[in-house]
Amino acid sequence: MNVIETVGITKKFGEFTANDSIDLAVKKGEIKAIVGENGAGKTTLMNMLYGLLTPTSGKILIQGQEVHFSSPLDAIKAGLGMVHQHFKLVPSLTVCENIVLGIEMNREVKGVRLPFLNGKKQLQQVQQAIDRFGFALNAADRVEDLSVGLRQRVEIMKMLYRDVDILILDEPTAVLTPQEAEELIQNLKELKKQGKTIIVITHKLGEVMSLSDSVTVIKRGKVVGNVDTKDTSERELAQMMVGRDVVLRVSKEQHEISCESVYEMKDVTTTDLSGKEILSDISLCLHKGEILGIAGVEGNGQSELLKVLTGLMTVTKGQILLECGDITNWWPADIRGAGVGMIHEDRYAQGLCRTMNLKENAIAGYHCRGDVCTPSGLLRDRAICCKRDDMIRDYDIRVADPEGAVSQLSGGNAQKLIIAREFASNPKVVIASQPTRGVDVGSIEFIHNKILDLAKTGVGIILISSELSEVMSLSDRIAVMYKGRIIGQVDAAGATKEEIGLLMAGITGKEASSA
Amino acid sequence: MKMEKIVRQTFNTLLPVLCAFFVGGIIIVCIGENPLTVYGLMLKNTLFEWKGLIKTLHFASPLILTGLAIGITFKANIFNMGVEGQMLGGAFTACVLGFTLQGLPPVVHIGICLLAGVVCGMLLAVIPALLKAYLHVNEMVVTLMLNYAIIEILRVLSQTIYRDPASGYVSTPPVLSSAMMNRLDGTSLTAFFPVTMVVFILMYLVFNKSRLGYEIKSIGRNPEFAEASGMNVAKKIVVMMLISGALSGLAGSGFMLSEKFKYTLDFSGTPGLGWDGMLISLLGGHSPIGILVAAIFYSALKTGSDTIGIFTNVPKEIVGVIQGLLILFLSIRFIDEHTTLFSRLKAKFPSRGKKEATSA
Repeated sequence: MNVIETVGITKKFGEFTANDSIDLAVKKGEIKAIVGENGAGKTTLMNMLYGLLTPTSGKILIQGQEVHFSSPLDAIKAGLGMVHQHFKLVPSLTVCENIVLGIEMNREVKGVRLPFLNGKKQLQQVQQAIDRFGFALNAADRVEDLSVGLRQRVEIMKMLYRDVDILILDEPTAVLTPQEAEELIQNLKELKKQGKTIIVITHKLGEVMSLSDSVTVIKRGKVVGNVDTKDTSERELAQMMVGRDVVLRVSKEQHEISCESVYEMKDVTTTDLSGKEILSDISLCLHKGEILGIAGVEGNGQSELLKVLTGLMTVTKGQILLECGDITNWWPADIRGAGVGMIHEDRYAQGLCRTMNLKENAIAGYHCRGDVCTPSGLLRDRAICCKRDDMIRDYDIRVADPEGAVSQLSGGNAQKLIIAREFASNPKVVIASQPTRGVDVGSIEFIHNKILDLAKTGVGIILISSELSEVMSLSDRIAVMYKGRIIGQVDAAGATKEEIGLLMAGITGKEASSA
Repeated sequence: MKMEKIVRQTFNTLLPVLCAFFVGGIIIVCIGENPLTVYGLMLKNTLFEWKGLIKTLHFASPLILTGLAIGITFKANIFNMGVEGQMLGGAFTACVLGFTLQGLPPVVHIGICLLAGVVCGMLLAVIPALLKAYLHVNEMVVTLMLNYAIIEILRVLSQTIYRDPASGYVSTPPVLSSAMMNRLDGTSLTAFFPVTMVVFILMYLVFNKSRLGYEIKSIGRNPEFAEASGMNVAKKIVVMMLISGALSGLAGSGFMLSEKFKYTLDFSGTPGLGWDGMLISLLGGHSPIGILVAAIFYSALKTGSDTIGIFTNVPKEIVGVIQGLLILFLSIRFIDEHTTLFSRLKAKFPSRGKKEATSA
């Protein structure tokens, strides 16, 4: 009996299809894992189940009945609860108060509801519920005093207290330490025993194997695999997740890579705001003219690595060395000044400013250089215009109005503008993150060729990308990140997709040849 | 593209003005005068007649400066609401030095007083700037509250230590004649106007042609982009606030030495030169040229009120009404265009913000 089922569910955001006719079936009392990379459409699917999004087409069936949720309240009424990646709790209230928020119990005198809360009875009931599900929580504690792991239990309790039968967890272990994650898995198994159905969204394959009964793999908005956990292996899942069709492969000529090192990371470590270590002892060395690809399932520290390398996040331990010396924890402007070009992963957040014009965007980050700015701090307008026109010509940026704002550019052309800006500044090293994300095929090829050309001139390039095919076709050497560490390095020439896929899943059984 | 933008901007600026004049016109009709005659008279005497125009420009000087002081920070989405206080601080400092320093040649004396006013404005602005940049204290609250602190301190000072015993009301002694900016060549203009214009040209360059202006714009439009492009946002906030404070201080000290000559409790009038500056900056779309035009227009309104009182039956308070209406109509556009301020207010007062949102 399928407790929840979707039939051909599709969600489109404008032109973009986030979910393409997905059929999902979850049996009663099982733990279903939905795996796939970030951006594959897992969360979109769950948001539709939970009533946060309305499907463009397709049906949702709960207990065999077709349902239409217009808000999460409907979903909760139908016995479906979701725990988001980011908690929605009131820190200054107690666990109990957070759990009952919205369905508080009023004092009653002879069946008449009074406008006062019945705090004592409420606390008792919540504590009973907590104990019934075997959570280690004290209902009277304040949420602000709890650890992240316990806060998540509060979120789960919030749903259970509302008598949901189906629980959706979005990346539940993303914020947890390994120990906390282990406890959570035990708790979830306990819930299963009590008859709850659980859907877990994740991209951590180890947890999938130890937790789930069946797995659905989603890739680019489509279901690419439906397997029972007992019949599969991490290896097979990893292949399903990353083994995507090669979009295109640029012809890469062999060129000399000098053995001279130009950029080096030594034991780079950093922690996030809560003190959790997100990058651990990363040591990499980049040679002149080399393209070093950094592969990995998204969310394994690549974003943080980029931030650290571009000066947006501080290094807590270790060193970053450029040819000329130590550049650890420099300001982004100084790092650029030392000859490091940066292509950020989100082009409209960090790379460009949509509402400013092309000219202004073309000098961003380099606006202090002598060629565009006089020593007295005035900008050389004519030189900047020339620079912009050169970029438009050399990088084939298709633009209707060169004086206009960047918002008129398509994704591919906006990306080309960033690449033009960073490549034209005569860098020694370029750090590029997701250089072709959301870019049309024609521009991808153009950008790939530009990257290869630049490497030929002796510039060292670090390429961080979640597109395995991109990393494989461009890089000379590939380092794989897993849980904030470099789990292995392989020579790109001899590497196979399977080998890298295993590393991406955190499996190092096979000896990885280090370059 | 560009044409369309200019048209839209002009339209956005003129519409509130026209609305204010229209509603003001209805009131004038009720009084029994022809609004067109009244407005014509007012504008003719303040803008289209040499003597009137000169007077308008004289009173526009401090308004241009406070307008620029507001504009530079608002452009970066930093809200220096303390221009009024910084302006008063500058004025008072200039005044005290104006009557205590003796035996200086006029040029030196005036120079020292203006400079002291500028420094005072900067000192008052740097407090909220440092709090904002390094401790993330909301600058709106600090600058706004600091105004009251400054006003009260100045009240106490002018009632006690610096009280002029010869005066029948609360006032400091007038500045010495060596610190007074004399009228130029029989007109009502003083050296303050040329000084203002020099500062205006400088600020025009800063806004439109300089690296700093570029950085200010980036920070206002997309702070994340600004940071990723290597701008030290905290440092820029301090620099902007210092410039803003300096402009405010100059506005105050210049107005003191060229018009008022002594500090009284109603030195800056109602609603105050700093608050007028906010209106002017909004009217001028935070651009220097816009601020210049808006300041002259606003000054014409203020000086025109006398003409109305003399030549027609309409009381001169009608100008106050028009000013109020202008603020009202401008604020409608303000909420429309600069949604960041609105959402910030909303974040601060969640429940109240919601009500405002539905009623707006």
